[in-house]
Amino acid sequence: MLAPGQTTLNAFLCRVWKMKAARAFILYTVVGVRAANEAVTMEVSIWGTRGSYPVARAEMLRYGGNTTCAAVRVGNTHIVLDAGTGLRGLGDALLSQPEPPRRIVLLITHTHWDHIIGFPFFTPLFEPHTRLEIYGLQRTQASLRTTIANALSDPLLPLGFEDLRADLHFHEINGDGVFALGDDVVVRTAQVNHPYRALGYRLESAQGTLCFIPDTGPFHTVLFGDERVAWNGTPATSRAELSALAQMRSDVLRLAADADWLIYDAQFTEEQYLRFPHWGHSSYSQALEIAEDAAVRHLLFFHHDPHRTDDELDREVAAQQLCTTKLRVHAAHEGMRLSRELPL
Amino acid sequence: MKLRFYGVRGYVPTPDIQYLRYGGNTCCTVIYGDGGELVVLDSGTGFCFFGDDLLAGPHGRGDGELVLLITHTYWDHLLGLPFPGVVHLPGNRLHIYGPDSARGSLEIVYDGLLSPVYSPVYGLAHIGATHSFQAISTKPFAVGGLTIRALPLSRRMNSPIWAYRVEEGAASVVYITDVRYTDEQIWQTAVTFARDASLLIHSAPYTRDEEIEDYGHGRVEDAIDLALTAQVRQLSLFHHAPTRTDDELDALLAHYRADLAQRGVELVLDAATEGPLFDVPASIRHQPSAREVP
Repeated sequence: MLAPGQTTLNAFLCRVWKMKAARAFILYTVVGVRAANEAVTMEVSIWGTRGSYPVARAEMLRYGGNTTCAAVRVGNTHIVLDAGTGLRGLGDALLSQPEPPRRIVLLITHTHWDHIIGFPFFTPLFEPHTRLEIYGLQRTQASLRTTIANALSDPLLPLGFEDLRADLHFHEINGDGVFALGDDVVVRTAQVNHPYRALGYRLESAQGTLCFIPDTGPFHTVLFGDERVAWNGTPATSRAELSALAQMRSDVLRLAADADWLIYDAQFTEEQYLRFPHWGHSSYSQALEIAEDAAVRHLLFFHHDPHRTDDELDREVAAQQLCTTKLRVHAAHEGMRLSRELPL
Repeated sequence: MKLRFYGVRGYVPTPDIQYLRYGGNTCCTVIYGDGGELVVLDSGTGFCFFGDDLLAGPHGRGDGELVLLITHTYWDHLLGLPFPGVVHLPGNRLHIYGPDSARGSLEIVYDGLLSPVYSPVYGLAHIGATHSFQAISTKPFAVGGLTIRALPLSRRMNSPIWAYRVEEGAASVVYITDVRYTDEQIWQTAVTFARDASLLIHSAPYTRDEEIEDYGHGRVEDAIDLALTAQVRQLSLFHHAPTRTDDELDALLAHYRADLAQRGVELVLDAATEGPLFDVPASIRHQPSAREVP
C-alpha cells in the first residue's frame, strides 16, 4: 500500500512527465519543422583559392595555398565547383559526416591543371556508394571523360577509372547551358575569356545565388578562343573581335546579375595585368568593375596569384573597398563560409 | 657540393600549418656544384619556388643554365616545370634528362602535360628557354665538375623509375624515390648504387606497421636498412605522406634514432626539410677507385 506522500509524489512525477512529453512534442513539431525548413539553406564553403599552382608557404596560409575548389549545398543537393587541390579536404569532410552524400555534382570550369589536380585525392571516388556527376565544357578535340582519364593514368599517375569505385557520369555542356540540379538549384553557364575557353557558372536557388568565375581575362584587350594568342603588345582592334568581346562581357554580366556572391578571378595587380594581358586573368579593379556592373552584393577575389602574400591581399581588399559603396569586397580564403546574412 | 630541398612532400602539396616545418611542396631537390653547376632532381611544385630564387642571378637575365634529372613522370615529380618565369625567358638553357616510357618519350609526356587542354602554355614549343630532352642511360656523364650516374631501379605499369647519383670530390648524393624492393635483385642493385654515398635521399612515406597495402615505395625501415648496408653517412627520409604532420615526423625520427643508437650504429638520420641550404658531407669511406657502380 502506498503512503499518501508517495501517491502525491507519483502524481507529481506523472505531471512532470506529461509536461516534458508535451514540451518534447512542441519542440518536435514546431522546432523540428523549422529545422527542416532551415535545412534548405544555401551553404557555400571555400576549400581552395589559389590560382596556377598550390603553394605551401607560411605567408600565404591565411588565404590558403590549395588551388580552386568551392562547395555548395542546398538541401540534399551537393555541388562542387572545380577540382583543384582544395577538393582533397572537402572529400575528407564529406566522408566524415554521419551520412555522407551519395550523389555529388562536380562542375568544372575548365581542365587546366590547377582546376583538376585534386580529383584523384577526392576520397568519395573510392566509395562504392558515390555517384559523381561531372559537368564540363564540350570539345571536339577530346571528350571530358578522356581528358580526365588521361590526366590520371600512366605515365602521369598509376590510376585508371577502373580503380575508382564511385559511379561516374560525364555531362558535356556549352556556354549557354541551363539545367536543374535536384528540386532546389538551377545552374546557368557562360563562356568566359580564357585560353582554350572556360566556363563560368551561376547557381540559383530560393535561398541565394552564387556566381563562380575563377578564370577570365577582362573584355577589352585580348579575345581568347581555342587558338593560342601570340601577344605582340597590340590589343584586339578588329570589329569582329571587339564585338565578340562585348558579347562575352554582356553574357558574364547576365550570369552574375544581382548575385548574392560573385567569386571572380583577381589574380593580378593592375601593373601585372599590363605585363601579362595574354594570360587570361583579371586584376582587382577589373573584377570590381564587373561586380559593380552586375550589381552583386558581395565580391570575392579568387584565384590568388601564387606569389601573393596574405598581407598583400589584405591591402588589396581594403584599397578596392574604398573605391565602391555598392557592394562588399572580400578575398576568398580557405575555410570561408558564405551566408546570406554576411553583413553588407 | 651544397644541397637544398625545395619540395619534400609526396603525392599532393599540403599547404597547412601542421606540415610547414618540414614542408608541403612536392618533390624538388637542388644540388649546387662548387663550380656553380645546378642539378635539379625532379620538378614537383617545389620547382616553382626554386625558379623564383633563380631570378636574382644569371637566369633572371636570360643567361642561365640548369640540368634537370627526372626519376619518373608522375604529377608530384613533374607539374612544377612550366610555371617559373625563368623557364620562359629566352636565353636560359634547360637540359632535361629522364626515362622514356612505353607510352612515349619524356619529351612527349611533357608536351602532353602542357597541351592546351591542361595548360595555357599550349605545348613545349612555347617554353621560351632553350630546352633539350635526353633519354637517360646508365652511362655516367659530367656536368661541369659533377659526375652524374643513373640507374633504372623499378617500374610502375609502363613507367620506368630511375635513381640518380651525383658526385663531386668526396661528396656524393644518391636519390631514390618511388622504388619498392619487391625482390632481392632490386635490393642488391640499390645497395651497390648507394654504396658509400655521403647522403641518401630516399622516399619513405610510411613505416612497415602503417602500411596496409603496397604503395610502391620503400618503407622507413627499408630506407634505413639500405643506408646501413650501403654504409651511407646520412639518410634523409623524403616524399613525406600528405597525412604526416610535423609532430608525427619528429616522433618518427626520435623513435628510429633511438633504435639506431641502441644498435650502436652510426648513421645520421633526418627528414628532408624545405628551405635550408647545407653542405653535403664527405662520405665515410671515400675510396673512388674501389667504388662499384653499375
